[in-house]
Amino acid sequence: MEVFLESADHIGLLAEQDRITSVSPAFGRGAGVRVFRGERDGFVSTNDLSERGLLVALEQALGMLGLTISSSSLSGFDGLPELHDHALAKGDWLGACPTLAESTDRLLEGTALLDRHGQHLQARRGSYARDWQEVMVAASDGTFARDIRLHQSVGLTALAADGDHRASQGRRYGSSDRPDDLRQWDAQTAAIDLCASTQAMLHADYVEAGTYPVVLANRFGGVIFHEACGHLLETTQVERGTTPFADRIEAPIAHTAVTAIDEGLSDGAFGSLSMDDEGMAPQRTVLIENGVLKRFLSDRAGELRTGHPRTGSGRRQSHAFAAASRMRNTYIAAGPHTPEQLIESVDRGLYCKSMGGGSVGPTGQFNFAVEEGYLIENGRLGKPVKGATLIGEAKEVMPRLSMCANDLELAAGFCGSVSGSIFVTVGQPHIKVDAITVGGR
Amino acid sequence: MSTSTAVATLGLDAHSLSEQLSSLAQGLGIERWDLGAACSTDTSVQVDRGEAKQLKGAQRSAITVRVWNGDGLVGITSTSDLSPAGLARALSGARDASAYGNADDIPAFSPLATAPLEPLDQPLVEPRGILELLDTLREAERDLLGRHAAITTVPYNGLAQRSSERLYLNSAGACREQKLTTASLYLYARSEEEGRKPRSSGAVRLAYGLKQLDVAGCIAEAAERTIAHLDYAPIQTGHYTCIFSPEAFLDLIGAFSSLFNARAVLDGVSLSDRDALGSTLAVPFLSIHDNGLHPGNVGASNFDGEGTPVRRLALVEGGVLRHFLHSEATARAFAVEPTGHAGLGAKVSVGPHWFEVGPSAGSSGGASGLDRHSADGVVWIDSLSALHAGVKASQGSFSLPFDGWLIRNGEARSIEAATVAGDIRAVLKGLLGFEGEAKLTPDGLCPHVWVEGLSVTGDA
Repeated sequence: MEVFLESADHIGLLAEQDRITSVSPAFGRGAGVRVFRGERDGFVSTNDLSERGLLVALEQALGMLGLTISSSSLSGFDGLPELHDHALAKGDWLGACPTLAESTDRLLEGTALLDRHGQHLQARRGSYARDWQEVMVAASDGTFARDIRLHQSVGLTALAADGDHRASQGRRYGSSDRPDDLRQWDAQTAAIDLCASTQAMLHADYVEAGTYPVVLANRFGGVIFHEACGHLLETTQVERGTTPFADRIEAPIAHTAVTAIDEGLSDGAFGSLSMDDEGMAPQRTVLIENGVLKRFLSDRAGELRTGHPRTGSGRRQSHAFAAASRMRNTYIAAGPHTPEQLIESVDRGLYCKSMGGGSVGPTGQFNFAVEEGYLIENGRLGKPVKGATLIGEAKEVMPRLSMCANDLELAAGFCGSVSGSIFVTVGQPHIKVDAITVGGR
Repeated sequence: MSTSTAVATLGLDAHSLSEQLSSLAQGLGIERWDLGAACSTDTSVQVDRGEAKQLKGAQRSAITVRVWNGDGLVGITSTSDLSPAGLARALSGARDASAYGNADDIPAFSPLATAPLEPLDQPLVEPRGILELLDTLREAERDLLGRHAAITTVPYNGLAQRSSERLYLNSAGACREQKLTTASLYLYARSEEEGRKPRSSGAVRLAYGLKQLDVAGCIAEAAERTIAHLDYAPIQTGHYTCIFSPEAFLDLIGAFSSLFNARAVLDGVSLSDRDALGSTLAVPFLSIHDNGLHPGNVGASNFDGEGTPVRRLALVEGGVLRHFLHSEATARAFAVEPTGHAGLGAKVSVGPHWFEVGPSAGSSGGASGLDRHSADGVVWIDSLSALHAGVKASQGSFSLPFDGWLIRNGEARSIEAATVAGDIRAVLKGLLGFEGEAKLTPDGLCPHVWVEGLSVTGDA
């Protein structure tokens, strides 16, 4: 049995043009009670933390499995050990974050910089979110741990319009456990980068549909691995029978150029953790090594139902969700090439400088929107193109990922799945996929 | 076990909340406030090849308070803590936030917050025990797996029921209340045949209670759609006449609803501008209404986040843009009445409820005799995916993966993997006509819609 307690404090800010248009504080608390019986589990969440409220939740969770409080015994449980307290050094984090006045000033600085550096901008927006969360996990396997998490993200978006031509672009930056991060945010660089991207795409033609070699830029380009392959390496997919890799441990599933890692350890990264939402320390998990599948990401239920050992990957949005195996900081490792060598290797293809969101379906088909793209012609970057979508299946695309550059970088993102929306990092160096279907006009 | 373990007594008492808020606000020197509150209990089950996978229960409460400070500026705070201490903290948090309120766009109480509401016919259904839910879903899964040898699993499935309450109160005496029960079922099957790629499809049903759910219809639809995609082939990239299923067309209209959204218009992120009302947006036989009160809209509410009554609103009639969706603040900016489409927030959001799409009254409805069962060389789009990633609402463009069929000489063959791309303005002006009667779906009412000349990217 496991009990998860949570207290949360959130602030969300929105700046539009040169005004703060939304200040949205929120706070709350709650508990999640999970009971396992064999491979089944019952989970109940509640906002009612009174003794009666918790008792009702426990009775309900037990009742789902045909158990009652009086009939239930926890075999081998002889009390909780001493609290493993990861929060000890984090008690002042909330107070160390920027004040509302500082935060709004920084956002307005961002939208003003967009105005300064952009052309044809019809709408300028800046947004900031600060999420503070205190959690405690107690379980009948002896887990008893507490932690405090702090996530901050700041983003800028711009919409440019010129006659019938329109382009919108966005950039988001995020960190964990760094109270001072908004103060350190380089708004100038962010605004210049965003304005250049918006400008480049404003008059771009639509990409011609077809199958091309594609070079994906580093940082958020890593969303392709996250969606196309990472989700298929979670034990939730093994349980459902929806991953083609279920029986492929120690078998090649990708090009030998590919080594992929998921970890919760990188300092300040959006997906880093002191402990997962089941109280387990995070690890560095090598998923794929030189093209060979090594591990799945597993949580308590995943270990129980699939036999894959836990990897400190049990994560959830809040107390209202049961933890599930989820990614943390997930990236393709750096390779030996320069980014230029990847582009020079393509006669006619597409360079995806900036990626939008994507998704993966129940049969492994994935898709990604390309926010900023350029044609590659005779090994050189050509004109900008818009409206591209990359489509494929992990099983077919991973063996075609043939070159990795030496410029690995990470980017913050949000991942929505079975246990809610969580903070993650995606990442990669520049990579080349030999052929992929590009949806366009 | 008891058959009603899932549902505890819900915790919203409008009179008590109003008294507490009034008293706390007075203590903090706050004269003007309003709040939205919601409370629910849920139970849900999932199964995996005959076994219970996860059983869930949840009790949720949430409240958002909005206060006006001495300078007339507005601040809000939201919380799940409905204790007196939580309410006091929320009020003082909202007062602090009001120092940063937007002086250029100050919301007010809706002038319609006490206007009469259209009554809704929503039966309150006693929730069933979770073991009954489990048995029902297990049987549904078994039935679906037995429909075809290629259907090997139903990896995404769930049966859920909810009892909920919702309130809107303000310091001027407005008090709106709603109680609701709902049940939902989704079944997404995966099929696989030797040497072929796995395929997947499914169906969803909503009702006011478990016994009212069309379980048999959901199983039949999930099976039919899954089996219909078993025989697939790649499609040549090119331009095709496309037939959107009612669900797919409603998804597309919903993704571009900023066209009708006064908030988006004022913010400069809509394809429409302030002067767009009365302009031609679509073919002359198209009509689009928003009608949250339609009896087919399970879970409908008859008031919005500001307490304004929900009503049927013509968005497009005869191809002409007729009205925008409004909150109190946007309505004031346009000098019209609020339309009942507001949320509640520091910046009040505006959004549609439930669309009715079809031919304009008195029009021919476009080309006659459209029949996909005798068509040739057209693409029938069954469902669209990844709308969050593939729609650029402020630009009008979309590029979306879809499940569907290529029809040749009246024979439909599933398309292996493809995307459809275009511009919503071109779609609305490129409608050829409607096929068949409008179908009731969870998102609205719509017939099959024929559109010419869309770009389809395939693997052939």
